[in-house]
Amino acid sequence: MPDAAGAAIDPFTVEIIQSALQAASDEMFAAMRKTAMSAIIYEVLDMGTGVTDAAGELVSSGAGIPAFVGVLDKAVKCILAHHAAAGAIAPGDVFATNDPYYGGVTHLNDVVVAMPVFAGSELIGWTAVIAHWNDVGGMVPGSMSTDAKEIFQEGLRLPAIKLIDAGTPIGAVFDILYANSRLPDYVRGDLWASVAAVRLGARRVAEVAAKYGTAAFAEAVRRFMDYGEQLTRQALASLPHGRFTLAEEQDDGRRYQVTVEIAADRLTLDLRDNPDQDAGPSNISFDGALVVCQMALKSLTEAGTVCNAGSFRPLAVLSRPGSIFHAQPPAALGFYYETEIRLYDLIWRCLAQVMPQRLAAGHFASICGTVIGGRHPDTGRHFTIVEPQIGGWGATHAADGISANFSAFHGETFNCPAEISEARNGLFVDRIMLNDAPGGAGRFRGGRGIVLDYRVRADGNFLTCGYTRSRVPPWGLAGGQDGTPNYIEVRRQDGRVERHAFATGVRLDGGDVVRVVTGNGGGYGDPRQRPRDLLAADLRDGYVTEAEARDIYGGP
Amino acid sequence: MTIRVATDVGGTFTDLVSLVVDPATGTQSVRIAKADTTPPEFERGVMTVLGKAGIPLDRVDFLAHGTTVVINALTERKGARVGLITTEGFRDVLEIARGNRPDFFNLHYRKPPPFVPRHLRRELAGRISFKGEELTPLDLSPLPGILAEFRAAGVQAVAICFLHAYAEPAHEARAVAAVRALWPEASVVASHQITREWREYERTNTTVLSAYVQPAAARYLGRLKSGLTEAGFGGRFYVMQSNCGVETLEAVAETPITMVESGPASGVWGAAALGRLIGEANVLALDIGGTTAKCALIENGQVKLSSDYWIERTRVTSGYPIMVPVIDLVEIGNGGGSIAWLDALNKLHVGPQSAGAMPGPAAYGRGGSDATTTDANLALGRINPDYFCGGEIVADMPAVGRALDALATPLGMTRTEVARGILRIANNNMVNALKLVSLNRGYDPRDFTMIAFGGGGGMHAAALAAELGVRKVVIPAAASVFCAWGMLMSDLRRDYVVTRVADFTAEKADDVAALIAETQQRAHAMFAAEGIAPSQVRFDVYGRLRYQNQEHSVEVPMPAGPLDAAAVADTTARFHDIYQRHYTYRLDVPVEFVGLHLVAAAEVGKLAPSPLRPTGRTLAATVKGHRSVDYALEGAHDAAIYDGDMLEPGMRFMGPAVIEQPGATTVVHPGQQVTVDDFGNFHIQIAATEG
Repeated sequence: MPDAAGAAIDPFTVEIIQSALQAASDEMFAAMRKTAMSAIIYEVLDMGTGVTDAAGELVSSGAGIPAFVGVLDKAVKCILAHHAAAGAIAPGDVFATNDPYYGGVTHLNDVVVAMPVFAGSELIGWTAVIAHWNDVGGMVPGSMSTDAKEIFQEGLRLPAIKLIDAGTPIGAVFDILYANSRLPDYVRGDLWASVAAVRLGARRVAEVAAKYGTAAFAEAVRRFMDYGEQLTRQALASLPHGRFTLAEEQDDGRRYQVTVEIAADRLTLDLRDNPDQDAGPSNISFDGALVVCQMALKSLTEAGTVCNAGSFRPLAVLSRPGSIFHAQPPAALGFYYETEIRLYDLIWRCLAQVMPQRLAAGHFASICGTVIGGRHPDTGRHFTIVEPQIGGWGATHAADGISANFSAFHGETFNCPAEISEARNGLFVDRIMLNDAPGGAGRFRGGRGIVLDYRVRADGNFLTCGYTRSRVPPWGLAGGQDGTPNYIEVRRQDGRVERHAFATGVRLDGGDVVRVVTGNGGGYGDPRQRPRDLLAADLRDGYVTEAEARDIYGGP
Repeated sequence: MTIRVATDVGGTFTDLVSLVVDPATGTQSVRIAKADTTPPEFERGVMTVLGKAGIPLDRVDFLAHGTTVVINALTERKGARVGLITTEGFRDVLEIARGNRPDFFNLHYRKPPPFVPRHLRRELAGRISFKGEELTPLDLSPLPGILAEFRAAGVQAVAICFLHAYAEPAHEARAVAAVRALWPEASVVASHQITREWREYERTNTTVLSAYVQPAAARYLGRLKSGLTEAGFGGRFYVMQSNCGVETLEAVAETPITMVESGPASGVWGAAALGRLIGEANVLALDIGGTTAKCALIENGQVKLSSDYWIERTRVTSGYPIMVPVIDLVEIGNGGGSIAWLDALNKLHVGPQSAGAMPGPAAYGRGGSDATTTDANLALGRINPDYFCGGEIVADMPAVGRALDALATPLGMTRTEVARGILRIANNNMVNALKLVSLNRGYDPRDFTMIAFGGGGGMHAAALAAELGVRKVVIPAAASVFCAWGMLMSDLRRDYVVTRVADFTAEKADDVAALIAETQQRAHAMFAAEGIAPSQVRFDVYGRLRYQNQEHSVEVPMPAGPLDAAAVADTTARFHDIYQRHYTYRLDVPVEFVGLHLVAAAEVGKLAPSPLRPTGRTLAATVKGHRSVDYALEGAHDAAIYDGDMLEPGMRFMGPAVIEQPGATTVVHPGQQVTVDDFGNFHIQIAATEG
């Protein structure tokens, strides 16, 4: 009788239980970050943690990046569906899924590890972790290939399987995991870091339920979700209501479209009118599209820390199975993130036209995923850099865009220091500087992207990349100018220069320079209205040249 | 007669503790004094408190001093104009920072601006490799032009940070010498003088912030020193550091950034020192002040330091890194002045906003209309309204009632219910912070004794301890001036953190041994310059070890003897154990050495406090009266009120009780037992709880 028990709980006890559930997610996050083997987990924070209720509804999350907040509930729900038989889920079990067609949401590199939490024999919740593994097999090192046509080419699929049975690791599963990676030591380290994190979280959640009783626990969870829903509704009520549509051309000539309908109690995103699914790896699953829409809702409404299943109740997403935003098996999804951020940026752009005071101009809006691999010339050991890039953000109605930050898909993500990169990877970082290319002018100007030069020391290295906004630049707003594109140059020792956006396995030899160039964000407002003291500072600091000041900003 | 004095400049008060020992009889006397802090001429407050305590400065042989001058200059942005000189291709590192955005759903995030604008960030050609080898020679030819432009732009301090200077500082050293020769009036600092750790953004920012505070710190310490000298002081003068040690004035003037967290460090160090004195090696230190609560863990008498320290870092902003050894603590916005508030959906929160000293809690009667934790404590009878702030302020109880009503009405509750709620939520926030330093790092709080101090330490400690399963709480006799007391117990201490990556195997152990020997020599040379013989210097050596390919390391004590195969095996085994404690698993993969943390310390005048002598006063004579006290979870009880300054060693009583002292109130819950130890500290035995 949760209602009867619930009525007896005072609001402060509820608050304390809720805070303990948030703390459990945060604690899992801290533990995972400290113990992971892969730099992409502990530096880039391509990871997230969460607690769900017994049905897989998100209660709290400890995330480094917004794109991983709404992922884990979907994984838990799929695990529940695939292990529905009585007794199939027992105390001490640990499950894993990485397959977007089995609740994995993103791509095969992101492995979800989830653990049921019991109070006695009663399932009361789940703890879960998602993290990017460096290599899960597939047709190329790092597993993501721009040439992939089917998911089978992108690595080992874990379709919501059991990993640990009542506390005992299932040896065969572990053996299959290790045998299917080019970097089994990393798999071992990252996998056990995930297991340790969900076990820690499960212990905390169980302690809370034991201390306050399962009825009080369930009631606190219920009220927490209602609180999330109320926050969203309150914010939705204050937005301009109506139906808005935007279509936008992509780098490859395709046209993506979104229709957004904002009502006092509901946000509806219609993604149906979009291209068929891609022959390559640029597809996203429906769960992936849903996560993007949840992120957009959250940024639009209540950007604070409370984020749970209730926050997303007022959201409806319409999609068309077989389209690029709702791919069907066996479509490949390795580069899902570029399509997800395209969709996110599309929603953002659509609404910025309607509420320019609330949303900034376009940012460089690409993960700019960059993979460089080879042998370390000093140790002979294999290295792989797998990293997103930082770039320029768009200006707002009141301020310049920020420079050199990770995209809206990331958050508490850190770039790799040159000093560590040189030691770990055995290449030189010749420079990392702000991008001085002209672009993003406005009353407030776009933030700067970067220019980053990696010079490889040995022959036989490779480069793989996936950049969008490489042809169509970040958009200006309210009269501000567009920003500049994202791209990679391979500058050969003999002076040849190749430009890339999507490429797999480009050979690099000693002395070749990989130049990463990320875009400057879009500007806001007419550049000729830029306050003159800001323009003077721009000239002094070299953000604007004399010629730009004269021709674009209308003189000093 | 030996006189040792410590003065601590805090936000509101400047505290003093002095210890006088008569060498003939061995008799000790302790003196405590407080005076107002006097910004911006903080040295005035110091001279005032010395005078107030009647300290004969000409006879003082040891004076330790803690100051907030560095953190104030940083947070108020009142430092010098800095010019940065760095490696070609890297001048934007300071602005690029690390690219993170903690408030990740916020699309209007503002990145903290760099302390040096782009036109004052200049580059020199020259490269050192990560192995410390020169790849390109340093080209100093542009330097005169750069310095001329710095001068013209009003630069007062120059920061120098080159890539891989942690591995080989030769280029930085040459650049420093060249700047000094070309521009002797400017203050200049290079990264290797502060830290030998890798990560260029963190090191560059640390160097810039040190340069930023250098002129202000030098001016303040100079004025204080001359003030003391004029008053006849001729003894040894030391300054409190963030690493729990004290340091000479000369060393501090060169790299003042090491003072940044000296206040909290002295409190935690005090807890460690008190723990050693009373036989408590494992301590949870809790310092509850007006705006924040800070907690730290002490294991086997050892405080923990970290060089991953950031100022102004919150859930919503990335802050600025300072890569110096700083006491490892968790600080949250929950103190006596923290404001309780309702959000738009009537959910009650406490902090992090604080009522500060002005207007302060509603009870101050200075127009504060927000209910604070202090107001809740008053409403529940935990603080005596007739003895508020040691009787210096008349508690404005009608204002407290109005402030609580503003919360109670929308919640449909009584004042008492809301006050209990504020207390429970504030306590819960502090419990979470205490868990971060204990449970989250693999320590069970039940194995620790809590030492609580600061104005609110005694008010909350017993409830927090019960919640965490801590069995004993100790409230120090000097709780109200505990940071100054901690300074009195400090050693001259230097922490050397050096990055050097090597396989940790018997074959490669010579490299590690050589690094240890080299660093010990550096330490000896620095101590020798101050007339301290090698035999007086004590070393603690920690290796930073990790599994190969991991980034995050754990500190493992290194053996004292030669680093032979057996010692390597022994240390590796210890690494696996420590790693497993922190992270719950161990791996069968090679172990890597990533750096050294060497602690070098020399005693410079610590004194062991001696036991107090009871006068034979009866316990009944210390009871001021009785009143009803609301313990929130346990409800209201009739509690005995003790005069804390009258309590004597050996006295013992049970809760419900309250111990009142001029600067501190200690709340004892029903069923808890208090014992006064030989030094006048209160030991509260917490009834064992299950779980």
